[in-house]
Amino acid sequence: MTTIATTTAPPRARKLVGAGRRQWIGLLYVAPAVALVVVFFLIPLGMTAWMSLHNWPLMGERTYIGLGNYVAILRDTRFWNALKFTAYYTVIVTIAIFAVAFPAALFVERPRPLTNLYRTMFFMPAVVGFASASLLWSWLLNVDSGLFSPAAYELGLIDRKFNLLATFQPAFWSIIAMVVWKVAGFTMIILMAGLQSIPQDLQEAAIIDGAGPFARFRAITLPLMRRTLALALILSVAGSILAFDQFYIILRGGPRNQTLTAVYWIFNQSFVSFKLGYGAALSMVLLVILVALSLVQLWLLRKPEGLD
Amino acid sequence: MRNLIAKLALAAAVLGSGLGTAAAETANIWVRADGSNFMPRIVDAYNKGHTNQIKLDIIPNAEIIPKYGAAAAGGTAPDALSLDLIYTPSFAAAGQLEDITDWARSLPYFASPSPAHVKTGTYKDHIYGLPFSADASVLIWNKKLFKQAGLDPEKGPANWAEIAADAEKVNALGGNIKGFYFSGNCGGCNIFTFTPLIWASGGDILSEDGSKATLDSPQLRGAIDLYRSMVKKDLVPAGAQTDTGANFFAAFAAGNIGISPSGAFAIGALNTQYPNVDYGVTFLPGKDGNWSSFAGGDNFVVTKGTKKLPVVKEFLDFAYSLEGQTILAKYGSLPVRGDIAKDALKDLDPRYQIAAEAMAKGRTPYSVVFNDLINSANGPWTQMINEVFFGDDVDGAIANAQETMQSIIDQAPQK
Repeated sequence: MTTIATTTAPPRARKLVGAGRRQWIGLLYVAPAVALVVVFFLIPLGMTAWMSLHNWPLMGERTYIGLGNYVAILRDTRFWNALKFTAYYTVIVTIAIFAVAFPAALFVERPRPLTNLYRTMFFMPAVVGFASASLLWSWLLNVDSGLFSPAAYELGLIDRKFNLLATFQPAFWSIIAMVVWKVAGFTMIILMAGLQSIPQDLQEAAIIDGAGPFARFRAITLPLMRRTLALALILSVAGSILAFDQFYIILRGGPRNQTLTAVYWIFNQSFVSFKLGYGAALSMVLLVILVALSLVQLWLLRKPEGLD
Repeated sequence: MRNLIAKLALAAAVLGSGLGTAAAETANIWVRADGSNFMPRIVDAYNKGHTNQIKLDIIPNAEIIPKYGAAAAGGTAPDALSLDLIYTPSFAAAGQLEDITDWARSLPYFASPSPAHVKTGTYKDHIYGLPFSADASVLIWNKKLFKQAGLDPEKGPANWAEIAADAEKVNALGGNIKGFYFSGNCGGCNIFTFTPLIWASGGDILSEDGSKATLDSPQLRGAIDLYRSMVKKDLVPAGAQTDTGANFFAAFAAGNIGISPSGAFAIGALNTQYPNVDYGVTFLPGKDGNWSSFAGGDNFVVTKGTKKLPVVKEFLDFAYSLEGQTILAKYGSLPVRGDIAKDALKDLDPRYQIAAEAMAKGRTPYSVVFNDLINSANGPWTQMINEVFFGDDVDGAIANAQETMQSIIDQAPQK
């Protein structure tokens, strides 16, 4: 704040003319944002990189070990297994989210009776935090005092209460259901905005040309939604690769450590085993993977020549 | 700046209370949330009767280790803390604790505090921790359900066969009533209540100095078979398989479980929160009788280099007095001084006596990597117990856990 006041106040500043002056003012305007990024992203990132080169226990002396942590990662089969599971989860959950969110977006896009009600209903779970949603579902899924299993039992659908969280498949799909419930509404809103930005006259012209609904979807809707899709996809993929809360709160990485995600493993190394340096190195590896994946997605969904 | 203001405010408070003199000092002590019942009472009692004062901070169980580590790195660690005893070796190994060997040896009752605490408080023949609060594992049974099932309500099971038979009879009452409960996905709960079954039968899961994992023993397999057979006969609620400890106490307290391994803490908790549950307390038995117990609780440790050591010593002397030990016992911990435990428990629920006896003979596995091996929800012990109690491949699960535990022990920092 004070910087702005002092640098703009002197009358001499006004003598700067043309592009030079505009650039200075432009820099001034972005300065707060740059400061935020530097303080809360670049410096911590640099510190993480620095820590990753050390044997850095929570307590006691730290020692510089160069790339030792990264060499250890190569042999850390449990991390690679966690990464494999994270990839599997990301693919499944992204498909599931889009399979629900896209039809929902098409459904709520056009005004019809009760549209606002539907939009609110679908979007509502998105405003719940992941931790609270996980706590809620961890109760819903509880075999003795929850909802699903006891209800099915009371209704006579099953003759023995079934513990949904005890084996991998039902536990995994329960998490998928929970995440779709929680996230699909948000993706739906993004996709809906994309759908609404498609000019109506294009659709009408296509109808006059005799294009059916499927042809219009394929030739007009999808191509014009590239950017929206890219945004929704990157958000979904990045969010899923960083998944932690739901697996920590509902499953504790179980049953039998089969749902340990990459972030969960980083958390365990850093705050259960107190190997902060190793955790930092794992974080750097995950960061590189995430950046690479996002670049690939942006490239795949890049703007085709001549459009826009 | 804020620190200064806090200190000034504190000084003003001390002076204002009329107890302060120029020489009075204030030491800062941390305790984990498990001690939030008894610790403030002891500190209050101490502060009332002494010139020096203690400032107490209560920290959530899961946070106290990382928080202490961060505080120590930043030079703002408390002068002392009441630390889950199993962490004492790793804290000592990290060079974080003051060596209190001479002081400990000078205490006239040093031989009588709980031996399990002293063992975990000792690292490389130096003493870094003294027993502060204690909890021993025991077996509890529901007398009302025993009576309904036609069993003698005053006689708890004394060996494995009796546990299985009694649980089956109670289970036969049907409805919501189940014979047996344990938290099947909780490493901490099971090191506390399941390993005593093995110890009482002559086996162990770690070598004495913690350098070898010794999982593959007939005693461990026998104890596993006991739990497996009860799971197979459907004597255990389905939720046990995924219970990470949340229902460790609550399941029995609801009143429809026949038998459950538990801890001395349950006596205080049941008496105050569930007065309607009529229960008995007995030892965790071995296969053919005998018994054992896990001695848990907190060690009192001093941060290396603190200048308030005299205050801390004075406080600990008070906590070790009969008055201090009685407060401790009244509010949920067993007394840690074996020689005056009987006096401290004199006017309390007689069932405490069983737990106190269990404590005196209690054992604690020793390891600098206890958290990684046992308590971690994703560690080898937690994974193994879940697999062997509910899974199909007992041999594979034991072999896998043995290998993982040994590799964690071998990779631990050797200092």
